[in-house]
Amino acid sequence: MKIIRTEKLSKIYNHQSLPVKALNQVNLEFETGEFTAIVGPSGSGKTTFLNMIGGLDKPTEGQIFIGDTEITSLSDSKLIDFRLHNIGFVFQSYNLLPVLTAKENVSFIMLLQKTNPKEMDARAVELLKQVGLEDKMDVRPSKLSGGQQQRVAVARALASKPRFILADEPTANLDTQSAFNLLDIMLRLNKEENITLIFSTHDQRVIDRARRVITLVDGAVDSDEQFER
Amino acid sequence: MKIILTLAWRNLWRNKRRSLITISSVLFAVLLAIVFYSMEQGSYGRMIDSMVKYSTGYIQIQDVFYEDEPSIDNSLLYDDELARLLDGFGNKIAYQVPRLQNFALVATEGQTRGSMVVGIDPEKEQKLNDLSDNLTEGELIKNEDSDILVAEGLAGILNVHTGDTLVLIGQGFQGATAAGKYRIKGIIDLKLPELNNNMIYMSLQAAQWFYMAEDRLTALIVMPENPKETDLLIEELNASIDQDWYRVLGWEEMLKDLLALMSFDMAGTMVMLFILYIVIAFGLFGTILTMIIERQREFAMLLSLGMKRGQLALMCFFETLFISFAGALAGIALAIPVVLWFYYNPIPLTGEMAEAMLDYGFEPIMPFAFDPYVFVSQARIVLIISVLIGLYPVYKMFRLNIMHAKQ
Ligand SMILES: Nc1ncnc2c1ncn2[C@@H]1O[C@H](COP(=O)(O)OP(=O)(O)OP(=O)(O)O)[C@@H](O)[C@H]1O
Ligand SMILES: [Mg+2]
Repeated sequence: MKIIRTEKLSKIYNHQSLPVKALNQVNLEFETGEFTAIVGPSGSGKTTFLNMIGGLDKPTEGQIFIGDTEITSLSDSKLIDFRLHNIGFVFQSYNLLPVLTAKENVSFIMLLQKTNPKEMDARAVELLKQVGLEDKMDVRPSKLSGGQQQRVAVARALASKPRFILADEPTANLDTQSAFNLLDIMLRLNKEENITLIFSTHDQRVIDRARRVITLVDGAVDSDEQFER
Repeated sequence: MKIILTLAWRNLWRNKRRSLITISSVLFAVLLAIVFYSMEQGSYGRMIDSMVKYSTGYIQIQDVFYEDEPSIDNSLLYDDELARLLDGFGNKIAYQVPRLQNFALVATEGQTRGSMVVGIDPEKEQKLNDLSDNLTEGELIKNEDSDILVAEGLAGILNVHTGDTLVLIGQGFQGATAAGKYRIKGIIDLKLPELNNNMIYMSLQAAQWFYMAEDRLTALIVMPENPKETDLLIEELNASIDQDWYRVLGWEEMLKDLLALMSFDMAGTMVMLFILYIVIAFGLFGTILTMIIERQREFAMLLSLGMKRGQLALMCFFETLFISFAGALAGIALAIPVVLWFYYNPIPLTGEMAEAMLDYGFEPIMPFAFDPYVFVSQARIVLIISVLIGLYPVYKMFRLNIMHAKQ
């Protein structure tokens, strides 16, 4: 099933002074269950693209459909609500609230969604188990390693039952072992639970595991390849 | 909602040191403000209290011309009609204190001096102002007495004592001559020099006879059962009394000169309190401002996840309130024993200050007010300040741009 479609998506920064074409007429489609890496040299527009389809920033031109919703025309508050119920995010850093424990961080998003408390608690525990952090439930982020923090972020992203998860360089700050570990978890979730994942990366080892690799160059799609893995 | 409160509370302790510094600055400012205010209210209250108690009462009924021309000719007639009218107020009126006063000359063998001769009903006067506390010599007068009480200052000037006899000469009602010989039954210390050097008390009966003013009073003091309802009672009295003949005055009206003087005096304290609160406001604002700037990326993250701007704003608002409330409550908690201590152990004054106080008949001390209002009023100001400052992050959260904040 098609979940994301962009049409002639363009983004120009610094419109007046020194225009930078970060995205140039990008037409892309994503299906449920994909495991996609967005790659490309620095400044090629990966982050910009993810921000656009995540509804964090508005394109200069073009349209973005998520399911049947054209999100560029949504108001700020509608968009916030849309993100809450449809999109999961894993950022490169600053993912977690430092004052909440791992479990509370995962529950937090469900609280925003007004999930009932019992279901919420069970789900948070279950998700943290899935990412291998059953023994760190009541620990605050400052006591977790970078890799563990990213795993909590993945668990949180899943908690809201989003249509897809966006991750901008989720492994950039991690050592090799943690990066692989995180990737394994993401792959497993993708295979076993049909979770749709789209992430940007520079890391060749990560790219090697992706089932679809989209390469951006100068804000345009340079290649779009599928791999059987 | 609960999660927002939880977050706000925990965020408060993220930067413990900064929060504690801000809280303590609020604490000290509130503490100082309360202590100053209590001191101010203490002397203000003492002044009004003693004026209301010893001289004016809360409400007076006078002849309609008396206030402008205080002469015995403008005294009022306390007739059955007035008595019945006041009875009609039942227990809204706690008690009444009648007075008849006029100037008279007082003479001993060697000296003559002007004085104020006041006729009082000793039993009723007692409720307003217990003269027995002021008695330095002899005994108090009773209702049927024809003896007099002389203020200590006047007695000193005349060099007389209990048992001596004074001659009083004055003008009675409508030009009648008032004259008589009176034995001194007691000497009282009235503290305030104007009073202490002038006053002579006699029973109301004796005074009415002396001034040839039967059933007449220069003022009838009316004490409301509940002093807080003074204004209401004045209104009701005005509505039922014959305003062609009588005038009802409240203490604020009778003491308006004194009140004006005091509010001028208050201005100094107010400026000081104002400065204190500016300091609190800036301290709090600084903390909130740094907090907002430091946490831009966190706010961006929360907005990205789908937290509503309103929720984010509320969280920041609560953080502001928590800090200022923690400071204000701690300040009040600390101020209570401090004020209480000074309330029971007022600061003694020395030197010129003390002499000035003594001249006005006050104990040379700095009295403190221990009235909930003192605390509530200061807490209210802190509340207003923190709400106003709390609006700043609210405004910021509604304007926050995710893309800018992310960087
Ligand atoms: N807020 C901004 N204002 C102006 N220009 C921007 C802004 N954000 C990105 N750009 C520019 O847009 C282009 C694309 O940036 P983007 O961050 O999307 O690249 P990227 O592929 O994510 O790079 P990296 O691999 O370094 O993360 C770059 O030329 C960048 O300088
Ligand atoms: Mg990037």
